[in-house]
Amino acid sequence: MPPRIRIRPRALRLRTSHSFSPINHTYASLATATTPAPPIDQTIRSAAPVLRYPANQPPSHKPPEVRKTQLHRQYQSLLRSSPLILLFQHNNLKAVEWMSIRRELAIALNKVDAEREKNGQELFANDIKLQVIQTGIFGSALRVVEFYNPEETLLDHAQHPTDPRTATSAQIPQTSNKPEDTRFKHGLSREAWEVASNKKLKHELEPLLSGPLAVLSFPSVSPEHLKSALSILAPSSDFPAPKRKTNPDLYEPAVQGGLQKLMLLGARVEGKVFDQDGVKWVGGIAGGIDGLRAQLVAALQGAGASLASTLEGASRSLYFTMESRRLDMEETEKGDKKE
Amino acid sequence: MITRFITDVRVKFNPFSPRSKPARIFLSLIPPSARAEGMKIESKILPRASKEPSTLALKFKDGKEMNLELDKMRIPEVMEQVNRHSRILARKEELSGN
Repeated sequence: MPPRIRIRPRALRLRTSHSFSPINHTYASLATATTPAPPIDQTIRSAAPVLRYPANQPPSHKPPEVRKTQLHRQYQSLLRSSPLILLFQHNNLKAVEWMSIRRELAIALNKVDAEREKNGQELFANDIKLQVIQTGIFGSALRVVEFYNPEETLLDHAQHPTDPRTATSAQIPQTSNKPEDTRFKHGLSREAWEVASNKKLKHELEPLLSGPLAVLSFPSVSPEHLKSALSILAPSSDFPAPKRKTNPDLYEPAVQGGLQKLMLLGARVEGKVFDQDGVKWVGGIAGGIDGLRAQLVAALQGAGASLASTLEGASRSLYFTMESRRLDMEETEKGDKKE
Repeated sequence: MITRFITDVRVKFNPFSPRSKPARIFLSLIPPSARAEGMKIESKILPRASKEPSTLALKFKDGKEMNLELDKMRIPEVMEQVNRHSRILARKEELSGN
């Protein structure tokens, strides 16, 4: 056990107060100011670049705090992230009707998901949303998504980490904090706005974008989910609505009254525009993408077999023609000899 | 737009034609409870390739039928035409004291 040393705080305090003599005190105003020379490192190399704005909020053309701008950004990301979007016109639906339609849609999609879960396939019933959109802003966002395709990213202008002038390995675009900077490539940048406001560019979906609209967006082109969504929202002979016995909630007046006012106008499937019949065709693809692959394989196998037979057939027929020609020539030769 | 006196609406349009706009806006002008109060509304959506003009057929409570070629009109003109007859009916109703 080490020896115990007693701490005597009182004694310590006495000693320190003794060393504290008034002679050492000086006034700040009397001190001669000496600025230390900057470290040699700073004089040789440039200072580390500083990003003048939050990395996920580059300066936008329109004021970023406005609802319009945020909706624009939201719709762009919706258009980019969902390959299958159905467009509906809604004519004065009541809140109760919206609520009950959404409920029925969610129930139907969850049923599809339950079946897919058994097969171990991807589930996305929770990501399929029916939402009312601001038509004009959606149209503008669509133009940006379709017509504005910047190739280079902002980081092409960044200082390379191996560049000796760079004091840090952080890659930061050398852009200013002004929306006028032409190096900004994001969807809300001034350049995107200029490209999208070109009146000469026309998009096929544009005639649809007028009046009150709602979109149903799917995170993936899944004909199964589309089929069940269509059977609820736009029932037809190809996609009949579930029977009253199996699904009595669907026949409540709130749901049916709402569905009468909801009109399917068209769809945007992987950048292509489809009308109602096109939507039905997409919904009618049996088995989804896997089913299509199976069909393709079968078609290719069939094509292989028929190709082999045609190639064989050509050689066979060639043989026949040559043979007949030989016989023919022999006959004529014989004939010549006879004459 | 006065929709009280309309009993029957038939609209036909191709949404992919820019001329279908008045037809679609007309549908959106019908109040939310119109169907529940007995107005019959039938809207037919034509396929994308069809060149058929968009049309609107209306029936009023007094039996008058109105057929409008929507692709040559704008929505204020359509509303004007419909309101002209609806106002006559409204005046009659008021005078008869119901």
